Amino acid sequence: MARWTILCIVGCWLIVVSPVGRAAVAPTAGGPTAASKECLRCHESEGKILTSIMASRSGERAFARRAFGDEGDRFFVESCGGCHVTGCADCHGDDAHRTGRPKDGACLRCHRGYSAGWEYEGRAPREDHERYQRGATSQGERYLTMLPDVHFERGMSCGDCHPMRSLHTGRQGAKGCRDCHRSVATGNPGHAIAGHVEKMECVACHAAWASQEYGTFLVRSKTEAEDDAFSPLPKWGPWRKSGHLKRQDAPPLGLDARGLVAPIRPRYLLFVTDPGRGWENRLLAAEWRAFTPHTVRRGSVACGGCHDNPRRFLLEPDAERLYLLEKDGLTLRSYWNRDGQRVVNGAFLPLARHERMNQKTPEFLRQELRQWQNLLEHAAPRSRR
Amino acid sequence: MYGSNDHSGADRWEKACGSCHKDQVGRMASSQMFTNAGMIAQIQATWEDERPGVAFAAQNGHQFVPDGSELAQVSVAGLDNLSGELYRKFCSRCHLASADNDPTSAGHAAGCAACHFPYGEGDTYQGTDRTVRGQGPHSATHVLRGLPPMGACERCHHRSGRTALTFQGLQDGNNALVPTRRGRPGPVTGSDGRSFTHIAPNVHFEAGMECIDCHTSREVMGDGYAHAGMEGQLEIRCEDCHGDGTRRPQAVKSARESDAPVRESRQYARPMAPGVRAVLTGKGRPYSNVFESDGRVVLATKRTGRLLPSPVITGTPAHTIAGHGRLECSACHSRAVPQCYGCHTSYDKRESSWDFVKDEDAAGGFAETEDVRTLYPFPLAVDGRGRIAPVTPGCQTFVTVIEADGHHSKNESVARYRGKQQMRFAPFYAHNTGRRAVGCSECHGNPTFLGFGQYVVENGAIRSTLLCERNPRKALDGFLSMEAGRVVSYAAISRAGARPLDHDEVLGVLAVNLCLVCHERNDDPIYRARLDYGALDDSLHRRLLADRR
Repeated sequence: MARWTILCIVGCWLIVVSPVGRAAVAPTAGGPTAASKECLRCHESEGKILTSIMASRSGERAFARRAFGDEGDRFFVESCGGCHVTGCADCHGDDAHRTGRPKDGACLRCHRGYSAGWEYEGRAPREDHERYQRGATSQGERYLTMLPDVHFERGMSCGDCHPMRSLHTGRQGAKGCRDCHRSVATGNPGHAIAGHVEKMECVACHAAWASQEYGTFLVRSKTEAEDDAFSPLPKWGPWRKSGHLKRQDAPPLGLDARGLVAPIRPRYLLFVTDPGRGWENRLLAAEWRAFTPHTVRRGSVACGGCHDNPRRFLLEPDAERLYLLEKDGLTLRSYWNRDGQRVVNGAFLPLARHERMNQKTPEFLRQELRQWQNLLEHAAPRSRR
Repeated sequence: MYGSNDHSGADRWEKACGSCHKDQVGRMASSQMFTNAGMIAQIQATWEDERPGVAFAAQNGHQFVPDGSELAQVSVAGLDNLSGELYRKFCSRCHLASADNDPTSAGHAAGCAACHFPYGEGDTYQGTDRTVRGQGPHSATHVLRGLPPMGACERCHHRSGRTALTFQGLQDGNNALVPTRRGRPGPVTGSDGRSFTHIAPNVHFEAGMECIDCHTSREVMGDGYAHAGMEGQLEIRCEDCHGDGTRRPQAVKSARESDAPVRESRQYARPMAPGVRAVLTGKGRPYSNVFESDGRVVLATKRTGRLLPSPVITGTPAHTIAGHGRLECSACHSRAVPQCYGCHTSYDKRESSWDFVKDEDAAGGFAETEDVRTLYPFPLAVDGRGRIAPVTPGCQTFVTVIEADGHHSKNESVARYRGKQQMRFAPFYAHNTGRRAVGCSECHGNPTFLGFGQYVVENGAIRSTLLCERNPRKALDGFLSMEAGRVVSYAAISRAGARPLDHDEVLGVLAVNLCLVCHERNDDPIYRARLDYGALDDSLHRRLLADRR
């Protein structure tokens, strides 16, 4: 559950600093609103949500301090306006007794964009430049159409796994995968590998994709004319925001807080240009987080998507780099090289474990073969042999 | 070299440059860079499903096709449909017969001066003459460049296929405008507000080669014939210098001073002498800077004379794999292949924009937005030569037409191609060659290379994860899907005879994984002959594969 809690904390950060996020829920200083106090007269135990991470934004505050040091609080105030829970009505509406359990839309109003949640319905953020800002919108943001989570396809809503009772008590979810899926499907070659079942989160294989932003850039110009050169990029408070590189495929893997292999993604590799402070592409944070993409599918990528794929574990050989960051003036050698980077709620996979997982044991070879046999057996036969 | 001072424009080049360089001017008149006929034909085919051949060109012209028959080409000014307009208002900026003097663009002079007196930064004069320094539009200097620098090629070839960028190790990906450079958009700025970032360059660029070290004068300036497209005009192939699995590079002795290699190389840093054994191009013509010496193939860079030995791969295990005979070199040796997915073009009749062919502001303006760009991995398909090659969207165009009264007569419409509404991909050599090839398991084990886009294997089928918003059953970044166990394609490959891999071929590629699981190396003897999957049932394999738990 700690994993879920941390996920939710950081999940809000991007939303919080985005201008749309600020529009979604107005920030309110101090304790519960008057209307919420009224609710709490009967629903006293639920009051914990008003001091929970969704309300306090402690995770985002901490990140801002880590990135900007003493100026973190100022950054937080300047750039992080809202998108946090201020009262019961934020989720339950003004007529809470009629609304009852919030619909998914209430959750997704904040849990969108780069935050966990949006992808559940098959949505990924688009590139920042206006040339890519096209197509349908959801919660005021344009999105790429992706394969949705299988639970969404089956009609399940956020509350089915994240009931309010758990949120009210400061927990993130009431159910993990194994609470419902008590036994793993035996027909799956991946499940036949004992290490997979014992040492991995289910989503390490079964999350089909995740939005990943490699290099989150904030740019502040000295003059309006200089700012104009960045006008195709969105505004974030006093900043222009861009992403050096975005991907929507299967994310890298590391270890989560439970020590299990889990998806990780940059959150955030933050570079800042602020000529007023003498900063040009200054790396303020190189943080990754273990997380749970809500893109669960019955299947997964092929074995080779992880095994013998060092990039997936941030062990990209230097000679195989495609992007030459140093020529772009960045201090990181590669986004897929763990040097200078860290997982804040877990760890990168230890090298010895990485070496071990790439050993072609007879058991691994048998299951990898079985995987391809399964695929080929399901396909219609070839007409030419 | 501008305006009335430019005597190299097509209206005057016969009397100016052509008074000495009659052969070159004559060839240029038929070249694709001058006629753009292949480009126009492709736009007609992919936007309107029209196939009149190379009937339209950037200007009227009297040509001969390779079989010797005559061809009267008609100016694209008369192509009265959306494809004609698109060419005239977008593509024709790179047409060599007319100058592009827009300082926000990557401009060039008209005619010979476009390449031999190239424009530079901001299209202004950058030379030592203080009188005109900083003024434009002018060529960068007053020095005639007999050997055009890469920057001259890049003026045009940084768009569309972007080959001049990927060759040098640049890409314009998502136009992120970051990392910044001195507080401004960066790190490398391009025309039209674009920004480029650095990627690993082509191995030939790293070795010190330029565009002209591979591309011969005949294929750049034409060979006198009006070919059906750019591919017809090309004469060089990787195999010319590196050989293929079974055939070494071919060479011929140039005995006389008038032989092409000797004649053409006179102004090179290292001219060829009579007696040189010049290596032959794919069309059997001699290179003027690649030769055989002591049984080795050597390339001399034209500008600097640097000698670069060319590795010959003939007979090596990696290049004699049974079944790989159909692979283009670029199928394995490409690194970055720029792919633009989802090209959303709107044509608004209420707007106007410059018609570069008619030279007038004309009603109707185009605007483009995109979905996603990627570089790697990349899909493969069968190209026009029947070989397996990288392909890239060419194009995934969704057209919206806004009429004068504001109503949309087309809304995100997909054009008909070969008789049905479908997307198009094009065979593409991205010019980002690496010494290291895509690994065996990396390609065979990743259906993205087959055209499924990014994927998961689910319920015995390959399922795409990045989807087309118009039809979420299809991949945005691919053209294949699996339906009821069958591989189905839903896009065309836009060259005659080109096509996606079919069901049998896809399964054939995937079946190799049954062996690759254990036989990982390309020099494994089993890959010297057609694979026998029945071997998995023999006693040796049954014993090895038995579950001993």
